[in-house]
Amino acid sequence: MRAAEAILTAFGIYGAIGLIFAAFFVAWGASRLDEAAHGMPLQVRLILIPGAAALWPYLAWRQIRGEGPPVQ
Amino acid sequence: MGHGYQAIKWYPFKRGYDGWIAAFVAVFIAVFLVGLYAFAPPGQFYSPVQALMRATGSCAFACLTIVLCIGPLARLHSVFLPILFNRRHLGVATFLIALTHAGLVLFWYHYGGVVSPALSLLTSNTAYDRLAGFPFETLGALALIWLFVMAATSHDFWNSNLGPGLWKALHMGVYGVYALIIGHVALGALQRETAPAFLAMVLSSLGLVSGLHLLTALVSRRAQQASADEIDWIDAGPALDIPENRARIIQPISGERIAVFRYAGKISAISNVCRHQGGPLGEGRVIDGCVTCPWHGFQYRPEDGQSPPPFTEKVATYRVRLDARRHVLIDPTPLPPGTATAPALIQEIPA
Repeated sequence: MRAAEAILTAFGIYGAIGLIFAAFFVAWGASRLDEAAHGMPLQVRLILIPGAAALWPYLAWRQIRGEGPPVQ
Repeated sequence: MGHGYQAIKWYPFKRGYDGWIAAFVAVFIAVFLVGLYAFAPPGQFYSPVQALMRATGSCAFACLTIVLCIGPLARLHSVFLPILFNRRHLGVATFLIALTHAGLVLFWYHYGGVVSPALSLLTSNTAYDRLAGFPFETLGALALIWLFVMAATSHDFWNSNLGPGLWKALHMGVYGVYALIIGHVALGALQRETAPAFLAMVLSSLGLVSGLHLLTALVSRRAQQASADEIDWIDAGPALDIPENRARIIQPISGERIAVFRYAGKISAISNVCRHQGGPLGEGRVIDGCVTCPWHGFQYRPEDGQSPPPFTEKVATYRVRLDARRHVLIDPTPLPPGTATAPALIQEIPA
């Protein structure tokens, strides 16, 4: 029971931070990361929220390092 | 291509594709429900929620099976290429159907207790140490989480900003999801359902997915062996056997596959890997003078591997020539992406 509660709490905290981060990311962060994201329509920003919330540690790390899109 | 982002680039083909997905889901669920009630064993009763739970779970499983079969089918024959295009919408639909299934499970079995539904799911059965009665719901929950990650990162933005390597690694997790779902079904539904249709559905899916992947690997290995006797130039076979505006895909001993295109009386060779999402360019066509990726329509000029302006994507090109037998010869050393190289002219085949 305790382990299950701990897992769910950790999951909840991860998701809550992710949602807050995602709101900032789609509003400002995405265009810092990728020039093509400047002036994205609202629908695109909304579509990006789940992905930003799921991958927030990676995206936050990229934002802190000021990196652009990966070289392809 | 690398230019602005749209929520969804709608055009008639994509609308039609999504229409087929919606029709398939609706028909599958309707037929499943009718079959479930019509052929239920004596004494077995399903409430509408339980029936819908099984229908959505089976439908998500069927959609995932189709998702996994599309890649190998398209490699085996170009007739399947249209269903390869826009596959990500089928993936997102799979997630949404699986989410509905999970919601019904939580509502029916875990809602209204003294603990939250999620906590109830994790604690109602903790027999992880034995197969009989294994908490199969956990396997389904893990699969659902990964389906969510894949659906949430399916937009072009993520492909560009995670990079093809990380993006592909995330999405290759679909095979892990499939394994989790097989475990979820085998340890769950198959332990309870006595109707042979359930077992038949799981075995057909397993046979189809594994059989198609094995067959594709065999065909690919054969193609690889055929080009293993290369010395410097790879013999890509008779130029005129390549259909107009189509390609033959060549696997050199090392490095990426090469797509050899025939178009407008010329032969050019470029990397088979699209810069967008790693799509198989050699399974695409030359449209308006440009090689067009079958996955999302990214385009490259065959002579220099560059996307037409204002786009900036580039793929590697390869030197080509024709020999006296009218065979296409390819230098397997890739030229830097975007390097112009003269196409071989079919009219000027040496006598």
